Amino acid sequence: MDFKLSEEQELIRDNMREFARTYVDPVAVEIDENSRYPEEVIKKLADGGWMGMPFPVEYGGSGVDYLTYAIAVEELSRSCAATGFTMSVHTGLACGPIALYGSDEQKKKYLTPMAKGEHLGAFALTEPGAGTDVGSATSTAVLDGDEYVLNGVKTFTSNGPVANTYVTFAWTDKSDKRNGMSAFIVPRETPGLSVGEHFMKMGIRASQTSEVIFKDCRIPKENLLGKVGEGMKIAMACFDHGRIGIAAQAVGIAQAALDESISYSKQRVQFGKPISKNQAIQWMIADMYTDITAGRFLYYYAAYLKDQGLPFSKEASMAKVFCAEMCSKHASKAVQIHGGYGYCKGQKVERLMRDAKITEIYEGTSEAQRMVIAGNVLR
Amino acid sequence: MPNIVCCFKWVVDEAYIKPSSSGKIDLEWAEYKLSDYDRNAIEEAVQLQERYGGNVTAVTVASSDATKGIKDALSRGPEKAYFINDDQFENLEPSQTSAILAKVIGNQIDYDLIICGEGSSDMYSQQVGPRLAEKLGIPCIAFVNQLSIEDKRIIAERKTDDGVEVISASLPVLVTVLPDINSPRVPGLKDTLAASKKPVIEIDLEDLGVEYERLLIDEGLRAASLERNCTQFGDGPEDIKAFAEAIRKTGVIDRG
Repeated sequence: MDFKLSEEQELIRDNMREFARTYVDPVAVEIDENSRYPEEVIKKLADGGWMGMPFPVEYGGSGVDYLTYAIAVEELSRSCAATGFTMSVHTGLACGPIALYGSDEQKKKYLTPMAKGEHLGAFALTEPGAGTDVGSATSTAVLDGDEYVLNGVKTFTSNGPVANTYVTFAWTDKSDKRNGMSAFIVPRETPGLSVGEHFMKMGIRASQTSEVIFKDCRIPKENLLGKVGEGMKIAMACFDHGRIGIAAQAVGIAQAALDESISYSKQRVQFGKPISKNQAIQWMIADMYTDITAGRFLYYYAAYLKDQGLPFSKEASMAKVFCAEMCSKHASKAVQIHGGYGYCKGQKVERLMRDAKITEIYEGTSEAQRMVIAGNVLR
Repeated sequence: MPNIVCCFKWVVDEAYIKPSSSGKIDLEWAEYKLSDYDRNAIEEAVQLQERYGGNVTAVTVASSDATKGIKDALSRGPEKAYFINDDQFENLEPSQTSAILAKVIGNQIDYDLIICGEGSSDMYSQQVGPRLAEKLGIPCIAFVNQLSIEDKRIIAERKTDDGVEVISASLPVLVTVLPDINSPRVPGLKDTLAASKKPVIEIDLEDLGVEYERLLIDEGLRAASLERNCTQFGDGPEDIKAFAEAIRKTGVIDRG
């Protein structure tokens, strides 16, 4: 058994770290404050080949394995969780389904500009009444001649306001709960597609989130992704690999919380000594480091299984729930270590604590992950 | 179109240097990195190539486990690398490093311009560049912060204590560059992937045909430590006396 990354993986990790320090750290506070989409950073990520990491070179990607991609998400999220998530949702949930289920034609037309980072992707599944319970969605797709007519409202669509390409889901046969939903690729400029106001969120504020509304939105039937009725299967497969990205993002946030806690506790003096000399603080730091290391190896393992072509659904859920919960816990502890200063704007841990919470919610809540894990273990 | 050679060193990343409990330096978990100023040297070579054409070759003298350093350097733009390596190449003295570089560059590489960092970010002797030029018998311009080429001549602006000097010299020339000459690019993913496919010429001690006598010997590495004891002093005569007494007691200054 070998726990060592390859030299190439280490260099890619180091280069993403350097990228994040150079281009992301200087804007991270401002884009959080203003809830601004960092277009200039995403453009630089695209130029560096970071927006389509795990996809084949012939479709505009960089052709690296999923583990290397997840490591890059961790490093980017360590500087800015919102930017890390923008890359992760684009790669895992928007490019991912087209790479996995798209025809050669669809890959050329849609995946290639997305993997090059020229087009940003979004994944529009959740509806106002359908979160974890995907089956209660109401959006419909009716075949009319050579076109599908989409109607419905999607919400909490990450990258929604700024995407060029949407992967969405609608019932083609509402009577068939299991095989009645289908997946579609919808370009932004399609008449009948409109995008709502950007939501003001607690954390990952630079990630853009909105409703996406389809009103008699006609798309050519060639834009059906996969086969008719495969929607639910495609959505679940996307979540499986998307979750590795969220686990990596959570580890990145937690690592940043640890970085901040170490440096602050060494210089903050109370009762005549740095607070890092107190056992109470030392134990918090020890627990953080232990959980971060455990979480990192959990998502490495899920990504490794995926790269080997082995089943990884349970492991992706394990990584997601563990990393998300330890991330929230330790981001909160990091604020505790910083005391009153940590509760104020201007300390990175304040942002980290707000950013951490979402990792327990999106791409499947912690409760949904436990359903997946229990379902696998009790089978 | 100039043939440009840039030299680099693979050094311990100072962020990983930690004192052990015995006061020694613990390098067991240390990561390595490209010496900071050598990033500027490589970047300058690549920028000159973008302006004037030609080619860029990276050269290093290192122990044989520095393979990641070769990939790192190549991901920053040079099209090939000379990896002069041997397990004995640890703690090389500047005169030895420059002699090894001179032997390889002088005999095997067609060069017009050699660029080095002003010094390495570990030992910072600032000697390897000037010594290399001396051994190759070419002019050396050190501490350069602006560089251009006109009609087979190099025009270099160098910072000195008295101000800025502009120097022109005909190629071949060696220059050492300051960190403010450029901002090194951050290699993209594709640059790193391409680096693994670029040619690397490996040369070991046997190929060099020289004996290597170890000149620098580690007698021990000691870490400086900073301990707060949170004693406060005012600025009155009594306080100053107490302050002097306190630093005597801790051994910061001797009574002698």
